[in-house]
Amino acid sequence: MIKIWTVAEFALREILRRRGVLLIMLLLPLAFYLSRRGDHLGQSIRFVCLGIGWALSTAALFAGSAARGIEPRLRLSGYRPHHLHLGRLLALWTVGVALSVPYFLLVRFDQDNVRYDAIALIMVLTVATAAPFGLALSAVLPRELEGTLVLLIVVGLQMVMDPADSAARLLPFWFSREIGTYAIDHTDGGYLTRGLTHGLVAAVVLTALVAVAATIRLRRRPHLRFVSAR
Amino acid sequence: MNQRGWLDTLAGELRRRGVDPELTAHVVSEAASHLRDSGEPPLAVFGPPGTYAAAVADSLGTAGTAAPDRVRQPASSRPGPPGPVRLDVRGISKRYRRRPVLTDVNLTVRAGEIAAVVGANGSGKSTFLRICAGLLSPDAGQVRVYGTLGYCPQAGGTSDFLYPEEHFALVGAGRGLSRSQSRTAGRDQAASLDWDPSGRTQARHLSGGTRQKLNLVMAGLGEPDVLLLDEPYQGFDRGTYLDFWQQLWRWRSAGKAIVVVTHLLNQLDRVDTVLELTPARETTS
Amino acid sequence: MDQERRAQWLRGVLDLCVLALLRHRESYGYELAQSLNAAGVGPIQGGTLYPVLLRLQRTGLVAAQWREGAAGPARKYYRITPVGIETLHRTAVDWDAFTSGVGVILREVQTR
Repeated sequence: MIKIWTVAEFALREILRRRGVLLIMLLLPLAFYLSRRGDHLGQSIRFVCLGIGWALSTAALFAGSAARGIEPRLRLSGYRPHHLHLGRLLALWTVGVALSVPYFLLVRFDQDNVRYDAIALIMVLTVATAAPFGLALSAVLPRELEGTLVLLIVVGLQMVMDPADSAARLLPFWFSREIGTYAIDHTDGGYLTRGLTHGLVAAVVLTALVAVAATIRLRRRPHLRFVSAR
Repeated sequence: MNQRGWLDTLAGELRRRGVDPELTAHVVSEAASHLRDSGEPPLAVFGPPGTYAAAVADSLGTAGTAAPDRVRQPASSRPGPPGPVRLDVRGISKRYRRRPVLTDVNLTVRAGEIAAVVGANGSGKSTFLRICAGLLSPDAGQVRVYGTLGYCPQAGGTSDFLYPEEHFALVGAGRGLSRSQSRTAGRDQAASLDWDPSGRTQARHLSGGTRQKLNLVMAGLGEPDVLLLDEPYQGFDRGTYLDFWQQLWRWRSAGKAIVVVTHLLNQLDRVDTVLELTPARETTS
Repeated sequence: MDQERRAQWLRGVLDLCVLALLRHRESYGYELAQSLNAAGVGPIQGGTLYPVLLRLQRTGLVAAQWREGAAGPARKYYRITPVGIETLHRTAVDWDAFTSGVGVILREVQTR
């Protein structure tokens, strides 16, 4: 447990020292929010949630790529794969929560007649999903540029695809639109249930994907055997 | 160079040549008192610190080295009875596409031994070390490590946004050391490379040589039984290069098994085993 | 005089000169350098002198001690040992024989 906390602490320090990424991360959801604030209040809430998701997955992508150099040697220094990926996820989740709080307060005081608890739920699920999403991408795509492009495509699709289209459910943040409709347009609980289920499944599947990728990449290879010396 | 700087450099050069600390202090104070009496600049009286240190070490006989480019091997660490096997590499073969890089390579390193891996560029030195460290799978063969492993890559292996001492804490925690144990161990090893790691400089801002010092210290943290060092001295100046070999002798005296990739042949008479890898050729088999 | 050649000669006899200077009283590095200079053997730089002193100390021909001077900071004082005196006497005889040989040969050159 100490090892997970140690990885989490230093991963968090690393993220906090990337001033540029941090600033963009902080401002991006705001830009999304303001872009639709004038004409469509409900849409601006959906956008801000997507913005948080995008910002956090980008941060996770960068953190994941940056860790590729040091993780193999940490593995050799006595860490197990789950120490490394869980620690990093913990750090990213913490950043995500810290990022969401001001935006939740913004929605809380800027908008009337929405279900605030449902908005909070969207944000929690978004943070839970976005961190493993970015890490999973960094595991599959070694170069940050490719990962960033994929993120761009995913968020773009998320904005233009009709949520009713069943293919849209394959997108990781589909739940955000669904619960958003429940929160803003006061639709029936079916939207909430579908969204919650999708969000939980997305978060669990992506976290599992990160775990599997880390376990494979940092596996102990069969040709190498450690024999106790003492 | 001012007088203070000259004297400090002299102290470093003497220590580097294995002159014991007390005598180093005496030589430095004596030089300082001479400079005070004569009022002349140190370079005019004693010449460059390195040259003077070499002359002093030479006059001390056993503790010095006449040619400064040769690394002295302390008498205390001359091979005694062979230690237990720590690293056993059997029949490693590896090919990239059709090109064989390593063919049936064997190596055994015992506690208290240094093995040098030499060969031209592209002969598979790094590949061999990465296979030993378990970072890469061979096509055939196996590696046995008796104890724990420390690995220092040629480049990379550090975390851009962390301070040097945070690296110590991170690696140390993996080895089961507390924060303060990691810091102390890291500082001690850094000092023997003539480096003070306590600054708040992120790894990405360190010079290439300093980053390799960090890498080397990280590899040695937690006293691993086997050390795999992949040309870790890139970017080192000559003095640090000497420090690096001193560190290797110390590790060897402490009973570690060391594998070091090198292309500098003038060190080869100072190691216990040499593994020469030949550049790969296209083969028809 | 050719500095290079003088330095070469000095390398052979500097330890003897130092022993000889220490024969009657102890001294420290800078003072020894000045005495050598005054005797016309110098100038001798610290970079050459101290390694010789260290070698003499290591071989037991001189002993050294850090002491406060009458005025000023601590200095490292060198004192000749009985072994040093014996070596000095023996080698001074050898040197005499050697230089008189060299002298005979060189005098022929001068008088020609």
